[in-house]
Amino acid sequence: MRILRFFFWAAVALGAGICLGGIALYRGEHINSLWLVLAAACSYATAYRFYGKFIAARVLALNDQRATPAERLRNGHDFEPTNRWIVFGHHFAAIAGPGPLVGPVLAAQFGYLPGTLWIIIGACLGGAVQDFTILFASMRRDGKSLGQMAREEIGKVGGFIALVTVLLIMIILLAVISLVVVNALKGSPWGTFTIAATMPIAIFMGLYLRYWRPGKVLECSAVGFLGVLGAIFAGQWVGQSATLAPVFTLSAMTLAMAIIVYGFLASALPVWLLLAPRDYLSTFVKLGVVTMLAVGILFVRPQLQLPAFTRFTDGTGPIFAGKIFPFCFITIACGAISGFHSLISSGTTPKLIARETHAWPVGYGSMLLESFVALMAMIAACVLQPGVYFAVNSPAGIVGAAPGAAVATISGWGFPVTVGDMAALAHNVGEQTLFSRTGGAPSLALGMAHIFARSVGGQAVIGFWYHFAIMFEALFILTIIDAGTRVGRFMLQDLVGHVAPPLGRTSWMPGVIATSAAVVAAWGYFLVQGVRDPLGGINSLWPLFGISNQLLAVIALCVATTILLKMHGAKYLWITCAPMAWLVSATFTAAWQKIFSPVPAIGFLAQADKLEVALRAGTAAGTFPARAATQTLIFNARLDACVCGVFLVLVAVILLDSIRVWAGILSGRGDRQVHEAPFVVSRLRAEEL
Amino acid sequence: MRRLLRLAVALLRELADENAYQRHLAAHGRPHSGEEWRRFSEQRLGAKYARAKCC
Repeated sequence: MRILRFFFWAAVALGAGICLGGIALYRGEHINSLWLVLAAACSYATAYRFYGKFIAARVLALNDQRATPAERLRNGHDFEPTNRWIVFGHHFAAIAGPGPLVGPVLAAQFGYLPGTLWIIIGACLGGAVQDFTILFASMRRDGKSLGQMAREEIGKVGGFIALVTVLLIMIILLAVISLVVVNALKGSPWGTFTIAATMPIAIFMGLYLRYWRPGKVLECSAVGFLGVLGAIFAGQWVGQSATLAPVFTLSAMTLAMAIIVYGFLASALPVWLLLAPRDYLSTFVKLGVVTMLAVGILFVRPQLQLPAFTRFTDGTGPIFAGKIFPFCFITIACGAISGFHSLISSGTTPKLIARETHAWPVGYGSMLLESFVALMAMIAACVLQPGVYFAVNSPAGIVGAAPGAAVATISGWGFPVTVGDMAALAHNVGEQTLFSRTGGAPSLALGMAHIFARSVGGQAVIGFWYHFAIMFEALFILTIIDAGTRVGRFMLQDLVGHVAPPLGRTSWMPGVIATSAAVVAAWGYFLVQGVRDPLGGINSLWPLFGISNQLLAVIALCVATTILLKMHGAKYLWITCAPMAWLVSATFTAAWQKIFSPVPAIGFLAQADKLEVALRAGTAAGTFPARAATQTLIFNARLDACVCGVFLVLVAVILLDSIRVWAGILSGRGDRQVHEAPFVVSRLRAEEL
Repeated sequence: MRRLLRLAVALLRELADENAYQRHLAAHGRPHSGEEWRRFSEQRLGAKYARAKCC
């Protein structure tokens, strides 16, 4: 039996090596997506079985005899020992957001290879390690949050910086994902109607659940899902109606304003009315669509149309400027490693773990599945013809606003596409145009529709599948916007409550309104900045989001490293230090380049200087509104540089503070005490697991 | 197959907070009612949406 097992795992590891080598070295016409799926599956299985198990057994020394907080503090609400696969699903549903879907689509501008390798390797050696170690640390500390652990293990500075960093990241995140929705819906009456209809549907669900069928969440979500499907069909009719189509054909700025107002209302309204029912619905839709996409890819096994590398590895990409290192690594974001996951791993999940060893599949395994979602997004983007991919994702400011100019520019890059191709594609999916629909969502929806239509219904229903995919993306992005604004408001109230106590009270309505407005104004400002940006906004805001998210991962890995040092000395330091060193080098380089690069397409300050020179020389448009707009662009570029600088300083401070603590521990002068909850023998019975 | 289906339903009920509601009823020894659900959901949702959602 042992020999069979040995040969099985040897075959899996060999499979991982052959598939990874195959996709890395093959330079033929096209590669089948199944190679990527197999490379990922074999790599994940090998990493989970060997590296994950090594960390679980040797490094963290998980002990099933030790009672978890779910058992010791069991209260039937937050703390409840739960079946490990249910916790796995719960944790995966919580960590899977739009990041792993959008990031890989944008990073595909380098070709499929750099992003694919980083998604697989980054998740196995970085992301899963971070999620697992933070989950373990929180589980051993009664489910404490990342901020609390940073304060206890590193010091007060660490705890405060973690809170401020999360608030800042939240603001950038909300702006950038709102921009993704705006770019997906602008000039699209079908999409706009469908998404608008989800709001009354969610309110209906809220009332249904509260007054008509209390407690029947699954039944209510099924009703809501039928309503959303009906809205997609109705959206097609609206899009073709001469009377209604103009009502739902909105500009980017109008959509941005609508989302800002929505964010404010959703943050201030009772959660049961809009936020909770939408969240239930979006969670189920998300899990369903991810499963459908996996089945669809296995069923269709599409060829990748994008090459392994494109010419934009030289840093001149139209979607975002900059070379593979560091920009591929900060763009992929959540698909490989995400600082935000550490908030979930130190939130609900540690309070549900019944046995310590369950943290291995939940912490390490869930991240591998998230990485697989990112890989599917990469495949969905790469099945598009390269010319179509770049026509959809390139901003008008780079390729030209007129379709003729855009196709000439893109064809000139070596990715042939015609105005006729784009018009036919737009007509097939029920859109007026697909040129310059930046943000990643429309191209991901096109790729998904391509895969779904080849599985079910054929080209006749590709329009339905496209809008189904847009609905799926927008639905859970809007859930993050309203939940995020609410959480941002709580954080702000927590911070300002020290200065003005009434503002800190969550029950005082003027305080709620003022802090909600402040949070909405903060992310709304960056959203409007993105909408006004002639380069589409994504190329400025997504790198800012990527940098901030990865810097939060640095903070999480600082906490994990400190804990490992206290547990084992320097013996296992490399487990968290290696991914941390990589992240520090990638994010600090990216942040430095975004601020100081002399290339205006990359550096915010160079961009501001270029605009200022043009303004002074009079080459910028001479009318007053145009001059004012240019001055706003200059201000925004400098603001982005400042935000980037603030992130850098905050994380540098926590990194230096951590290094001071590590040096103290290693030299024997520092406090080596781990702040774990005391050991209590588990009394859980097998049937309770 | 049956076990997998049972697990999937249990996961859906957990995600839908229906399991948590049953635990709440059992812990407090109360029967299901509209009033009880509203009390539970206000407490549950209040805590749930005070935490960051992932990107």
